Amino acid sequence: MNTITMQATRKEIMATVLARDLVDGEWVEVGANLPVPRAGVLLAHLLWGANMSVMVAMTKANVLNEPVIEEFELITDHRATRWAEAYYLHNDLVENMKFRHRGVFFAGALQIDPFGNSNLIGIGKDYKALKFRGPGAIGVCNATVMNSRFHLVVNSHDPRIFVPKCDFISALGWGQGGEDARTKLGLPGGGPRYVVTPLCVMDFEPGSKRMRLKSLHPGVDIEEVKKNTGFELIIPAKVPTTEPPSAEELKVLRERIDVQGALRQ
Amino acid sequence: MNPDSPNVRKKRIIELDQALAHVKDGMTIGIGGFINSSHPMHVVRGLIKKGFKNLTVVGPASSGLEIDLLIAAGVAKKIIAPYVGGEALAPIGPAFRAAAERGLIEVFELDEAMYYAALRAAAQRVPFNPWRSGVGTSFPEMNPMIKSFKDPINGETLLAIPAVNIDVAFLHAAVSDYYGNVQYIGHGYGDRAIYAAADKTFVQVEKVVSNEEIRADPIKTAIPGADGIIRAPFGAHPYSSPGHYIEDKAHIKKYVQAATAWAKTNDFAPLQAYLDEFVLGPKDPIEYLERVGLRQLLTLNEY
Repeated sequence: MNTITMQATRKEIMATVLARDLVDGEWVEVGANLPVPRAGVLLAHLLWGANMSVMVAMTKANVLNEPVIEEFELITDHRATRWAEAYYLHNDLVENMKFRHRGVFFAGALQIDPFGNSNLIGIGKDYKALKFRGPGAIGVCNATVMNSRFHLVVNSHDPRIFVPKCDFISALGWGQGGEDARTKLGLPGGGPRYVVTPLCVMDFEPGSKRMRLKSLHPGVDIEEVKKNTGFELIIPAKVPTTEPPSAEELKVLRERIDVQGALRQ
Repeated sequence: MNPDSPNVRKKRIIELDQALAHVKDGMTIGIGGFINSSHPMHVVRGLIKKGFKNLTVVGPASSGLEIDLLIAAGVAKKIIAPYVGGEALAPIGPAFRAAAERGLIEVFELDEAMYYAALRAAAQRVPFNPWRSGVGTSFPEMNPMIKSFKDPINGETLLAIPAVNIDVAFLHAAVSDYYGNVQYIGHGYGDRAIYAAADKTFVQVEKVVSNEEIRADPIKTAIPGADGIIRAPFGAHPYSSPGHYIEDKAHIKKYVQAATAWAKTNDFAPLQAYLDEFVLGPKDPIEYLERVGLRQLLTLNEY
């Protein structure tokens, strides 16, 4: 089968949305087992971001001229070091913050509220008696503050994730709302920009900083998004369709970045 | 000069049990590595076999299932780690999850930057390190040891991250010489920060090499003076050891399956069977490796 003529999948569309937000010269980290942000970062790097710093498995990686960028299941896979121009000691990576002013970060979440505050700790009203213990904050609390902006990326769009109020906030979005929600706390970084799901892209309305529908992926209607969001989204009069990947973007995605097909499953 | 005690440099190679003798119930221990790599597993299994209790365990910044195993075996009372899991092999550590939900362990809630701030404070012998990220989040509420304060220089609101001092740290690395000069293949994750925050550090190594070999590339020496070196070829199994072997996914899955049974149905029998076969049963680390099997181990020497 000619993979290039196959229509773009939802995950490929999500990756393309993330790619198009990235600007040449920015610093990004590629986690393992996060195929969508990984593909987005590499797509931008290979097509228009030759001067981006791309971190793969805790190395500053030179993958620009790799015909095929192999994907690793685990972040500790030592084979990734074959691309290394430099190693980042893990402690340096989260102690030295200056370089992150050009950084862009991608965060997942168990819960996300209307202002883009998010939770990776657990579900339950009482922290001492959680109904569901989550994985923990990892580096997300810090990375969502120190980088120039971040995007929330989730693999499903449902009312259990999109809740009126997070049980706990492990990464601050726009707090209780308002343009000054973060600056009044002394926090650098531009906060959350997009929320990317398998159904749509959302952003935050200027002024209120409440979550707003930005575009619907091809084949998704507004009702489906509304039904699967546990709070009232701001819905503009006209909601465009998310721009799918171009033929060139799809070719690079499938032939160089995602040969194993993680985004096509 | 005392003729009865010649001025000779001491070798720091010790047995596993000599290292474990530095641990007492209730202590704070540190474990190195990162998710599915480079954990001092002979030590982890040894701690369980010795039956230590009430340990506060400082895991790696991204802890793997070695910390989950310590929880499952009832050794750990308090966990200081921003993540416990095995990535795709177990997104959340099953025993970590179950023990936290059931109130069997206390979690010192923090993110990676706070974790290193806490270790740095210990290394610097100050009571806390200030940190900015986390202001406006639930961290001070989830972890009352993290306190919001007004900085006396500019009057900004910041978080005080308390020092986390490690009594004894255990790491796994590629090589050391007789004198505890430890070098890694690869970057060594956050092990240097764990070492810096610890009163004592013992390092398992794949290979003991000559001092000349260390001096051939001294900038690679990451731990310049471990208190003791434990010979441990294949000592990170079932996790990877960069430059030596890859992780044993089949073995890790065996553990995950056992721990998941305990988490989902409260049935401890599969975990007990795992502990009996691989932790409590073997008389020493070599017998552990024998039980895993030479044929299986050698498959891990190739990608």
